[in-house]
Amino acid sequence: MLSIVTITLKGIFRDRIFQGIMVLSVLFIFIPSVASLSMRQVTELSTTLSLSLISFIMLLLAIFLGATSIWKDIERRYTFSVLSLPVSRSTYLVGRFLGIAIFMLIAALFLGSAAIVSIKIASLTYPPARPLLWSAIITSIVFDALKYIIVVAVAMTLATVSTSFFLPVFGAISTFLAGTVTQQVYDYLQTPSAQAAVSVVVRKSALVLYYLLPNLSGFDLKVHAIYAIPLNTQGLLLSAVYFLIYIGIVLSVGALLFARREMK
Amino acid sequence: MIAIETAGLCKQFKGKKMTRVDALKSLDLQIEAGEVFGFLGPNGAGKSTTIKLIMGLLKPSSGTASIMGVDSTLTDSRRQVGFLPENPAFYDYLSAEEYITFVGSQFRMDSSLLKRRTEDVLKRLDLWEARKRPMRGYSKGMVQRVGLAQTLVHDPDVYILDEPMSGLDPIGRALVKDIILDLKRRGKCVFFSTHITDDVEKVCDRVGVIVKGSLVAVDLVENIMRSGVEGYLVHLRLQDGAGRNFAGIEPLRVAGSTSEFYVSCSAFNAFMGEVNASGAEVALVETRRRDLEDFFLSLVNRP
Ligand SMILES: Nc1ncnc2c1ncn2[C@@H]1O[C@H](COP(=O)(O)OP(=O)(O)O)[C@@H](O)[C@H]1O
Ligand SMILES: [Mg+2]
Repeated sequence: MLSIVTITLKGIFRDRIFQGIMVLSVLFIFIPSVASLSMRQVTELSTTLSLSLISFIMLLLAIFLGATSIWKDIERRYTFSVLSLPVSRSTYLVGRFLGIAIFMLIAALFLGSAAIVSIKIASLTYPPARPLLWSAIITSIVFDALKYIIVVAVAMTLATVSTSFFLPVFGAISTFLAGTVTQQVYDYLQTPSAQAAVSVVVRKSALVLYYLLPNLSGFDLKVHAIYAIPLNTQGLLLSAVYFLIYIGIVLSVGALLFARREMK
Repeated sequence: MIAIETAGLCKQFKGKKMTRVDALKSLDLQIEAGEVFGFLGPNGAGKSTTIKLIMGLLKPSSGTASIMGVDSTLTDSRRQVGFLPENPAFYDYLSAEEYITFVGSQFRMDSSLLKRRTEDVLKRLDLWEARKRPMRGYSKGMVQRVGLAQTLVHDPDVYILDEPMSGLDPIGRALVKDIILDLKRRGKCVFFSTHITDDVEKVCDRVGVIVKGSLVAVDLVENIMRSGVEGYLVHLRLQDGAGRNFAGIEPLRVAGSTSEFYVSCSAFNAFMGEVNASGAEVALVETRRRDLEDFFLSLVNRP
């Protein structure tokens, strides 16, 4: 398992597309000066821009790494040589996943440091209305990474059954988009007005999707980070547990599907 | 001890438009430990399908396969095997050295032993100079040699090689034959597929011929070679009467005092009787045989 994690990390760091995506982090340099153009709430704006940039880069990485790793192994026929070693399909899948997950955390650390530097610069030149809550900023970045690790798990599971990269790529993007709004849709459907307006069938199927799709809204702490709102520890703990359980379930399904897949 | 076994092994593929391809029809094979077995068949005969089933890459439609008594659907069946896929591909961002090390670690090799064995096999397969370069830049023959190196590094008892000589130059092919013969001397079991009879003739103990998904012959190479003897080419030195016949057999060619006769197996004794009686000197007797190639072609072309 460990050696699969290692070669996965080596593969990511040596990949051109990854290097291209990471070049985007150069944009952090410009954030304080761009934010200063607004003249008001410069630090808040810098925080917003930094966190959004991290999210954007992490989303690209999650889709690119999650959707292509297993698919590429099959497409390039690496699976013939690797899966004929005494390694089980589930070990391979989980090893690949852990490699990517660890990489996402490393990327979060790297991008987060760049973000903190640019937020710090902005706050020194334009002191914010409320003092910065660094713990909220850092926690927000960590939970953002967890969110995208869920997207990675979904993309990899889709790749175990897919013969092209369309399903994992677009499946992961749709899952991500749907996952960020499912809580809002659920809350809306609980209101009396929705109970009256929406048919039972739609409500039931929305409920099924609500439980099937990842609920990513709990991982979005940007508002806390930007406006220095204290975090709710219990809520965070709940999200962390949710993260572990959801990943566990998705990867178990993926492992099951992958074990049944034939290497033709 | 049986190293590789298949029993009633079948594989059907779903083809286009709901058709089915019977890639393998009820294969029964038993390969002994210590045996070098050539799996011979034309393109599309089902060799790779069989091998993928044995390696657990494909699931049988029916029947079973096992390695060293462990069913091929289990991960543990691959503990004692070195496997070379057909036209192999390896993580191209790794170097040969990194990949071989990775393979060794999957077999839980001790790290100092692994380091030594990695060096050995890389040198043996002439990859030592290139060992630090990413495999992306390797030629086809080099990748094939990496493929062989990764079967050897953990020194397993069973080797399953799908067309090991393909993509290699004559030096590479000779090296592979050398390696197989060496494994044979060390009592290892080698099962390899090929469509080239010459490869089989040189290194195998036994050969199985597969045509259109069915095993049509399995025999010792030695038996095939012996049963293939069809007659003899006899060179006689005659003092006088060059051009005469013996037991009614006319010479094929006459050059000076030497006459050359083709004698079938059945006529050989009568022919030699007359030769002895005439006092003619026998200069040379050559065996005329159908070789493995003819044997193979006769099986493949059989209606
Ligand atoms: N994935 C597949 N789908 C459909 N047919 C296949 C597939 N793989 C192999 N076949 C068919 O099975 C037969 C045997 O193929 P294969 O085992 O690769 O032959 P060989 O290795 O002896 O050249 C061929 O007719 C081939 O077309
Ligand atoms: Mg083949």
